[in-house]
Amino acid sequence: MKIGPINIPLKEDFSLKSILGFEKTPMNMLVAVLTLAFLAMFVVGVATYLMHGHHAYNVTREHPWGLLIAVYIFFVVSSTGFCIVGSLGDVFGFKDYMMISKRAIFGSIVTILAGFAVIAFEIGHPVTMLIYNVLSPGLTSAIWWMGTLYGIYLTFMIVEFYFLLNNNMQKARIFGLIGLLVGLAAHSNLGGVFGFLNARTISNGVFYPTYFILTAFITGIYLSFIIMGFRYKMNFDEKTKALLVGLAKIQTLLIAILMFFETWKMLTAVYGGMPNRAEVAEHIMHSGAFMYGEVLMGMLIPFTVMLLTKWRSVTTYVWTSVIGMVGIFFMRYDLVHDTQLKPLQMMKTHEYQLPPSWVEYFPSATEIMISLGGLGLCVLLYYVGTRAFNLDEEH
Amino acid sequence: MKKIETSRRRFLQGSVALCVYATSSFSFTSKQNSSITTIENIPYLCNMCRNKCAGFARVQNNTITKLNPNKYFPKSRNMLCPKGNAGIQAIYDKDRLKYPLIRIGNRGDGRYKRVTWDEAYEYIKDKLVTIIDEEKDNRSTIAYCNGEGFNKDEYIKFFGSKLGSANFLDEGSICLNTKLGATQLTIGDIGEMDVAGSDYLIISGANRYESLITPDSIDMIHSKQKLVVLDPRCTVTALKADEYLPLNPGTDLAFCLSMIYIAIKEKLYNETYVKEYFKDFDKLQKHILKNNYTASWAESKTHIPAKKIEQISREFFGAKNPLYYLGRRSVWAQNDFQLRRAMVLINALAGSVNRKGGIIFGKPFVLKQEQINEAFYNNSQGRFDLDGIVYGSQKGGSWLNFREKVLTKKAPYPVRAMFIRKHNIMQNMPNIAKTKEMLNGMDLVVVLDTMPSDTAMMADVILPECTYLEREDMVVSFNRLEPSLALRNKVVEPLYESRSMQDILHGLGRKLSKPLFAVSAKYDEDLQESIEELGAKNAFKEGGYDFTELYQNSIEQRNKKLIVSQFGLDVYTSLKTKGVWHPYIGKQKELYNDYYEYYPKEKRFYTVDRKYRVNCYLGKLEKSGFDPMPTWHSHYDFKLSEDSFRLITGRYITSTQTATTNNIMLKEFQEKNHLWINDRVAKKLDIKEGDTLVINSPIESVVIQAYPTNKIAPQVLWFAHGFGTESEELTNAYGKGASDNMIIEDKFEKIYGCATMHETNVTIRKL
Amino acid sequence: MARYGMALDYKNCINCKACEVACKEENGVELGAEKHRIWVGANNPDGQWPLLDIASAAFLPSQCQHCDDAPCQEVCPTHATYYDENNVVRVDADKCILCSYCMNACPYDARYVDDRTMTVDKCTFCSDTRLARGETTTACQNTCPTKVRTFGDLDDPESEISELLRTREHFSLKSHLGTNPKLFYLT
Repeated sequence: MKIGPINIPLKEDFSLKSILGFEKTPMNMLVAVLTLAFLAMFVVGVATYLMHGHHAYNVTREHPWGLLIAVYIFFVVSSTGFCIVGSLGDVFGFKDYMMISKRAIFGSIVTILAGFAVIAFEIGHPVTMLIYNVLSPGLTSAIWWMGTLYGIYLTFMIVEFYFLLNNNMQKARIFGLIGLLVGLAAHSNLGGVFGFLNARTISNGVFYPTYFILTAFITGIYLSFIIMGFRYKMNFDEKTKALLVGLAKIQTLLIAILMFFETWKMLTAVYGGMPNRAEVAEHIMHSGAFMYGEVLMGMLIPFTVMLLTKWRSVTTYVWTSVIGMVGIFFMRYDLVHDTQLKPLQMMKTHEYQLPPSWVEYFPSATEIMISLGGLGLCVLLYYVGTRAFNLDEEH
Repeated sequence: MKKIETSRRRFLQGSVALCVYATSSFSFTSKQNSSITTIENIPYLCNMCRNKCAGFARVQNNTITKLNPNKYFPKSRNMLCPKGNAGIQAIYDKDRLKYPLIRIGNRGDGRYKRVTWDEAYEYIKDKLVTIIDEEKDNRSTIAYCNGEGFNKDEYIKFFGSKLGSANFLDEGSICLNTKLGATQLTIGDIGEMDVAGSDYLIISGANRYESLITPDSIDMIHSKQKLVVLDPRCTVTALKADEYLPLNPGTDLAFCLSMIYIAIKEKLYNETYVKEYFKDFDKLQKHILKNNYTASWAESKTHIPAKKIEQISREFFGAKNPLYYLGRRSVWAQNDFQLRRAMVLINALAGSVNRKGGIIFGKPFVLKQEQINEAFYNNSQGRFDLDGIVYGSQKGGSWLNFREKVLTKKAPYPVRAMFIRKHNIMQNMPNIAKTKEMLNGMDLVVVLDTMPSDTAMMADVILPECTYLEREDMVVSFNRLEPSLALRNKVVEPLYESRSMQDILHGLGRKLSKPLFAVSAKYDEDLQESIEELGAKNAFKEGGYDFTELYQNSIEQRNKKLIVSQFGLDVYTSLKTKGVWHPYIGKQKELYNDYYEYYPKEKRFYTVDRKYRVNCYLGKLEKSGFDPMPTWHSHYDFKLSEDSFRLITGRYITSTQTATTNNIMLKEFQEKNHLWINDRVAKKLDIKEGDTLVINSPIESVVIQAYPTNKIAPQVLWFAHGFGTESEELTNAYGKGASDNMIIEDKFEKIYGCATMHETNVTIRKL
Repeated sequence: MARYGMALDYKNCINCKACEVACKEENGVELGAEKHRIWVGANNPDGQWPLLDIASAAFLPSQCQHCDDAPCQEVCPTHATYYDENNVVRVDADKCILCSYCMNACPYDARYVDDRTMTVDKCTFCSDTRLARGETTTACQNTCPTKVRTFGDLDDPESEISELLRTREHFSLKSHLGTNPKLFYLT
């Protein structure tokens, strides 16, 4: 397809028919039905939000950030992860990883778009945001930097993807490198959004900005397994296998580092019983979302499986990566929720209340629908992309 | 800084918007655009509770947008409490009574038809003429009551002096008559407590920080005297005390007797004062010593350690200006009169009477009364509710005795009609079932009120009165130490078809005077003679049968005439523009932070020239078979069976009895009441916060949510008065919480005929 | 221009809620328990009846602390939160995008969402209501029965609040966070 000087090489058979012409295996049908269901939920959720505003969400004065923020973070971390994995080949020139670059860069575009779609319904006034982000920039605000940098990042990713499609590796590398740097900056600023919260002792500090980069890489590898499994229907050729074995080894190392990070974060948080930090850390460690979600699914299961199988069983890793992504979701959810766990006002304001202890939050149906809708949107866009573009490496 | 910012959004958020929020039936939209053009601040007197504070109402385009405190009023000392602030929602309450209504359903089911004022008057007239005719001109068959402080006298003049009924009832016998009586009978005057001047203050039960009385509550904070609080419940007043003495309910008298014992035994009392003013001190001394009211005796009754009682007693009598606060709330138990007397005697023993920091007589402004021509009815019989009561209030009578006699038909004549003004008798006195039965037995029940209360729902005719912000009332004299005059000015015109009480009575009077005169002429021989002598017209006029006599002139005109003739035009102008007048009004000194000194210290009436005696011994009581002096009896002991509790009641700072529970703003703070139960007891019974409980009393049961707390004694339960409204017309209050008077037994003491609120034992179970 | 602050003689507070109602009425604050600009925090007394530790019970009036170094202002991406000419921390509703970052960053729980405008709202020291009309006090200060609050200009050495802060010991809430609040609690 040609628009002026821009040439977008679409697949020749790209049409509605090709989109609908997937193999009707039970698995494919399940994914298709789920995606459509999620998209329907998105419509219902957004409609509910437009009618009732934030009343449709379970966010409160004490817990202003809810599931949608977590899901936004989940998507943008995924995007950064894809970007990192994609850059291995086309930016850093690791030949083995070249074959996934295009696919990963496309994934990074799709996931960040899904993230933006979700956050648009969390931010009360997204249009006002676009205007005043420019007219009256808050340069001391991590959210301003994060938002602005992600905007620039998306542009670079699209341009990079364009050059990749056109096999212009030179320009793809330049835009890829800048995009990666901007993405990492944006991403660590997202960590900074939490790290700057002086009042929230559990989140305050250097941990989240750096941890975000690490977990982005891990997320990128999990997602790479999933998309490659999807692409090759689990029948990997030797080259792909080599790629995935390489990624699995990197992943094992990264998870090991993450486990060190987490262990020391928790140890230092609990040690000495510092008020506002120790009891929050202990509370977090007693929560199922942390122990089963983050630790077990996000780290221990994939890590153990890869160690035990000595990086040889790549099809298994596709499945452990699905488990890993569930764990990654809990990492994002917990990050948001745990930051707000401890009330900032600890006195009773009404006679007939128990003294404030932990801030309770569970997402509303609307929040869940919009979040799943984001996932549906992501899958749909990605699938359409696989039909429209040649995401494989060209020889 | 003085830049006027009226951004669109801000304005939408402004108070007018809030008013609109609360007044769906009233449209302000047309006024919004042109707003913030004229702002007027009109002085008024608050009426959210019985206390009366002064404020300024900010009016923008005929809408009240804010109520602010009035710094000129010595009594309220430049403050408004939460209820005072929320008064704005009282006038704009969407549930208000808006039009005259006549009942078309059964009593209590809330079915009424809207009628014109004339139709309502006509209906009342027809009924009254029939009733009075049938009762052969015994006007006392029409009882009338009024729970509001202001305008009570006007109301009595209409139904008492003009219509001729002896049966007036007010809130006194379900409130503080024993305290007033005890002070009056002991030192010859009801006096006033100088909290500000005291350096040592003991408060028994009165919860001055959650039931604000100006200036006492404010003075307690600002004057920083030592504060000792006795209460079975750890109230905010107790939390703020220097010493909190938790005690068994109803045993305050034992503490007081012990204080008197210690004062006498250790000769701590003010000997010169006692010598000069006490009458029958020897009898008191003998009585106290003989009964051996020692501290350890009192400990066994009150649960307060004997050492503590001794320490407090010595400190109190050693203080320069000690004050034992006489209380101001409901009557608790059979011994209440002698409890209050014991408190007065403690003050007197310390010499704290007619001096700084004690019970002062002061020098209130005495307003001249407007003279009216009182009608006289030979066939009108006297009141019966004080039969069997030793003293009793001749003015407000005894509600429970009245109700009992009407119900059991032991009254000498039937009471067939009742006029009820601003008195929610279906909620305010113990055993609501009996009140309902009494009203059901009436041929005519007329209610004058602003809100569709439970009582209004029992009326045949409802006459909508305007709220305090929509009317001028007669000027009132306040206080004795720093006396002042205050005037309630009209802030806005009455909303809907509501009218001021005077306008209502004026209309009713026009309708009633002649027909009722005709009934009298039928039965009253003196009147017949007079008619023969003077002619009907003159007999009517000179005999005082014209009910509208008082209302020939408007309140505004009457106030002006009264004030100007007695005090001069300047005082009148001050009352109209500042709402208040006192001699130092232009010269009041700001002490700090918007807090003022009104009368210079040397000009306050701490001590006045007055001959009086402190009566230790009341012979009349002895003759009637009661204790002539404060005495403890074993049946006053706090003893309960194991599974039962003593129920005590009180209120929240954000609510005034039942009058404010529908207020949309106050509802935010206390939507309903909860049952306070000792946390250890609750644990034993497996009762957790928020559990639903049934409280069973000998007469009824109510359902309420539990609040286990360490702030209440075991075997004692507390919940706030004012909730459990049954009128569905009060949409914010209906069905919220429980009503205490549903389950409080209707017992009353026999000295003043006051309902005893704290003598009911109850059991609980989890629902 | 002024630098407004408030000193609170908080031990005089009797938790009567007059300030809260006055604030809501004056500023047209949305109804609802969660929607409050100011509040009074209360501690239950420790101990068991009858041995209650009444000294452990406290009433602490609180609200936006109008920090000189306000975290809410720093984190706002669009400068919707700003210092007005009197150093009062304000929210410009037109610029607020409701990202709620300020609500998370404020160490005092002083901010909430006004559902009518869908923007963040907070105490303004009555700047747009009473002060704009030329009055010199806030609604909460004015109505307080025990005159807990003293409102005034911290830059004016003659002001009552400056005098108070010179002569009475005081503390601020969470001062270790470096927010430099302009609310001072007198001890």
